[in-house]
Amino acid sequence: MLKMNNINKVYQTEKVQTHALRDFNLEVNEGEFIAVTGPSGSGKTTFLNIAGMLEPYTGGQYLLDDVDVGTLSDNKRADLRNQKIGFIFQGFNLIPDLNLYENVEVPLRYRGIKSAERRRRIEDCLEKVGLASRAKHLPQQLSGGQQQRVAIARALAGEPRFLLADEPTGNLDSLMARQVMELLEQINREGATIIMVTHDSELARRAPRNIQVVDGQLADFTLYQNRSADSVVELASGA
Amino acid sequence: MLEIKPIFNAMRRSKAGAIMLLIQIAITTAIVSNASFIIYDRVQYLQQETGYPEDEIFHFAVQTFGKDVDLSQQFELTETTLRNIPGVINAVAMQEIPLSGGGSASSFGINPTSDQGRQGREVRSAYTYGDEHALETMGVDLIEGRNFNQNEVIIAQNRDVLPTVAIVSKTFLEEIFPEGDGLGQTIYLGDMPLKIIGVVGKMMGPWLKDSRPDNLIVIPFVNAGVYQKVLVRADPEQRAQVMGQIEDILLKEYDQRVVVNLNGMDESKRRYNASDILMLRMLVVLITVLVLVTALGIFGLTVFNINKRTRQIGTRRALGARKSAIVRYFMVENGIICIAGLVIGSAAAVYMGTALLEHYSLPALDHSYIGMTAIFVLVVSLLSVLVPANRAANISPSVATRSI
Amino acid sequence: MILHYLDLSWRSLKRTPLISALMIAAIAVGIGITMTSLSVYHMMSMDPIPQKSDRLFQPQLNTMDDGQTWWTEDDLPYQITYNDAMNLYNAPIPERKVLSMRTGFSVHMNSSEVKPFLQGARVTGRDFFAMFDLDFVYGGTWSESQEREVVPVVVISTELNEKLFGGQNSVGKQIYLDDTSYEIVGVTEPWDIHIKYYDLNNGAFSNREEMFIPYSMIAAKELNSWGNTNGWKYQEINNYQDRLQSEQFWLQFWVELNSPEEEQEYREFLTAYLEEQGKRGRYSREKVQFALRDVNEWLDYNNVVSEDNRVLVGLSFMFLTVCLANILGLLLGKFLRRAPEVGVRRALGASKRQIFLQHLVEVSVLGLLGGLLGIGIAQLGLWGVRQTYSYYNALATMDLTMLLAAPSIAIGACIIAGLYPAWLVCRTTPAIYLKTQ
Repeated sequence: MLKMNNINKVYQTEKVQTHALRDFNLEVNEGEFIAVTGPSGSGKTTFLNIAGMLEPYTGGQYLLDDVDVGTLSDNKRADLRNQKIGFIFQGFNLIPDLNLYENVEVPLRYRGIKSAERRRRIEDCLEKVGLASRAKHLPQQLSGGQQQRVAIARALAGEPRFLLADEPTGNLDSLMARQVMELLEQINREGATIIMVTHDSELARRAPRNIQVVDGQLADFTLYQNRSADSVVELASGA
Repeated sequence: MLEIKPIFNAMRRSKAGAIMLLIQIAITTAIVSNASFIIYDRVQYLQQETGYPEDEIFHFAVQTFGKDVDLSQQFELTETTLRNIPGVINAVAMQEIPLSGGGSASSFGINPTSDQGRQGREVRSAYTYGDEHALETMGVDLIEGRNFNQNEVIIAQNRDVLPTVAIVSKTFLEEIFPEGDGLGQTIYLGDMPLKIIGVVGKMMGPWLKDSRPDNLIVIPFVNAGVYQKVLVRADPEQRAQVMGQIEDILLKEYDQRVVVNLNGMDESKRRYNASDILMLRMLVVLITVLVLVTALGIFGLTVFNINKRTRQIGTRRALGARKSAIVRYFMVENGIICIAGLVIGSAAAVYMGTALLEHYSLPALDHSYIGMTAIFVLVVSLLSVLVPANRAANISPSVATRSI
Repeated sequence: MILHYLDLSWRSLKRTPLISALMIAAIAVGIGITMTSLSVYHMMSMDPIPQKSDRLFQPQLNTMDDGQTWWTEDDLPYQITYNDAMNLYNAPIPERKVLSMRTGFSVHMNSSEVKPFLQGARVTGRDFFAMFDLDFVYGGTWSESQEREVVPVVVISTELNEKLFGGQNSVGKQIYLDDTSYEIVGVTEPWDIHIKYYDLNNGAFSNREEMFIPYSMIAAKELNSWGNTNGWKYQEINNYQDRLQSEQFWLQFWVELNSPEEEQEYREFLTAYLEEQGKRGRYSREKVQFALRDVNEWLDYNNVVSEDNRVLVGLSFMFLTVCLANILGLLLGKFLRRAPEVGVRRALGASKRQIFLQHLVEVSVLGLLGGLLGIGIAQLGLWGVRQTYSYYNALATMDLTMLLAAPSIAIGACIIAGLYPAWLVCRTTPAIYLKTQ
């Protein structure tokens, strides 16, 4: 469903050119759970931003569901983002003025869904992340793990087929990190494709497919090739 | 050490904010300098010396509907009644009231008018009829010559016998007889000769906005009309009280008449000048609020800049910057914008002054007003920065190490 | 969605109360000052009789010798002579025309019940009321024969009727004007005009007359004008008859011309009239000169809107610009600080348009609040204007147009100020704000 061919991204400042991605190639299939690792500054986030259409790329081709993203208008890209993609950030990025319910509501509003339908979906999603009782709370009244679960609920509310997570557990302690990870795995089992950038090699190993970005290029497929889907399930249930 | 270069770079990065500040300061300078000049001009106009003790004088009009009296004789009687009221200095039935905005004017020439028009110099002047009490009632000073004699004053209900003398204001005399030998000469109203027997230093006519506001001639004639104006001068402390009794006293004397338009001279002058007073007030309010808004704008923008740079300021402090260096940074940053704004604003002020001069009857802008305004705006602007800048200087260096 | 944006705007205002208050205050003050001067300007420049202002004309005749100048732009006197007024009034065309002049009387009832008082009166023709759309509560105008035969009749205003007769139908009753008893034939409705456009002699905004009497009383009662009398040449005037026959200008004249054809016809009539007067040797002129100005042209010609007022309106709008620059600066700061939130919204699928709209709604809310507060400030300002002199009482008020204009100008101005900051914030790349907070 996602296909990147020779994607290049060059940041141009006054004096220097920085190649964040060079000739980056990747194909992602429906239902995959991919962990992306790599050293700081290797281009992981750039890759994720391009995948989520948050940033334009400077060369190559990016197909999402066989649509060439490069040819779309900004408005069209916003619509696609809204319908197909859910984001989860390291910093949660909840909107501080809005309560949990309203935070989850944001993408639904941009999609123009009717109020009753919105309510149903928001309640479902908050139920799923175990925070239904706190719908009226403001983000700063919650712990980090809870905030991240709200962010996940927000990403899920639009029923996206594609979830992009940038260090979703980076700001959390290990217990909370594991809860979040389990939630993501559950979502993956329910059918969503997930791409997760992480530092944490232990978490990365739990993902069925691992890729590594080094110096703006895809480096290694080994982990993916040596594991089967079954062993992941085993590992998860054993944890 | 002034860190001009980094300040410039910082400003370049937030251009729009700086430009808005610049625009505000420029327009403020242009408006305030022009408005304060107009204010100055109007204050000069409103406070000019008129020659009259305005707070001692009041006037009214009498409309007589009774037909059983000789009006001129009746008013001689009324004048006496008025002069006997305690507190009244003098009173006179006059054809026109100075400074009131209503009166008569004509050309006066050194030769009479004939069928072929008039030969020689002529000067426009306001004039009024009055008797030998007029000068004292108006409270003006005779600087040359003498007052009317009683036998020079013509009291009549017709124009069979006409007056032959007049007392004129100095300004008129100097204009019609520029050689300075005017006293004793004869001037003509139409073909009526009037010998100048006295000169008053300063007495302004009915219209302060006339092209010849200082020209006034008093002619010793009492030709009372159905609608007759009366001028009274009283002790300033007792004026209000005297004014309160006028109607009763006059109607007691003769009741087939109506007393109207009873007003102090200062009040009628204020009424005549109402639009100028209004303009003055509006402009004062306008520039006061304008300066306030600009100051608040600078204040608000500085607060924003400081909030945006809290961490940066903390870091600088942690690296050893003194408080004074932080304050100076913001002062210099604002100073640069402000001076640029003042330069543009001064140019705009000159342009605006020229435009106002061209399209409206406003005087030419005195450029010293721009200079004074610029200094004033600069001071206000620096003061508006000082408050938030001092607050910024008090930011603890520890914010640099804390995450937000 | 708009409702949602309104909700967001409200939250945003509450989040930064000081800055919001500062911005609203800036708009309010700007609008307040602008609306104060604009309201006065609006009232001064308003068409006093919009339904027929283009059909009422004031003829001005040049009956002076060549070489004589007047202080008007085209050297035409504002008023006309008594003889011309009578000649034009007795002419066959047009259908409706009036001469008119302000005078005044001591009004009394020939008893001690009502203390005599002085009252302005208009001496005019019987068509005055129909021409200037002044309707009657009781009775009507006087008849042609009453006018011709100098019958002492009077039309009084509702206000005067209230004062003298407690508002009852007073048609048929008598009042004394000076020493003559007049029969009341009509009571007019309250006249809702604040520009005394039919006679600007005593100031465009001065009090109207409360009584109307037939023009034939001028000669019969030797009435004096309470307006201006201007001459251009020396003439011996020893009695009232001299005055009536003189070349002095002291009467106003109005005609109603209902079509361009009527106007053309009247122009031709005036040309012929002036040529004939010239031939009689009344004045020595090479060619005839006259003007026919309708109500609005007449007000313009007389500079009814003062220069000071124009200057003030100009300065006020410049002031508003300063307030806008001020707001623009603050909005810039406020919106840009919100960039991270906008980044999240963009990531969640908001289009640039939606973000842009959201911010424009927010500035409109600011504008609306500022505009409403501005009306309050303008009312205060207008109160101040009224305090300066009672002359401004009718002028220093806000009518419905101005009340609606205030928030509209405020919102419009705020949107202009908000365009750039809103564009800036919706244009920023969302990605850079998402990584860390």
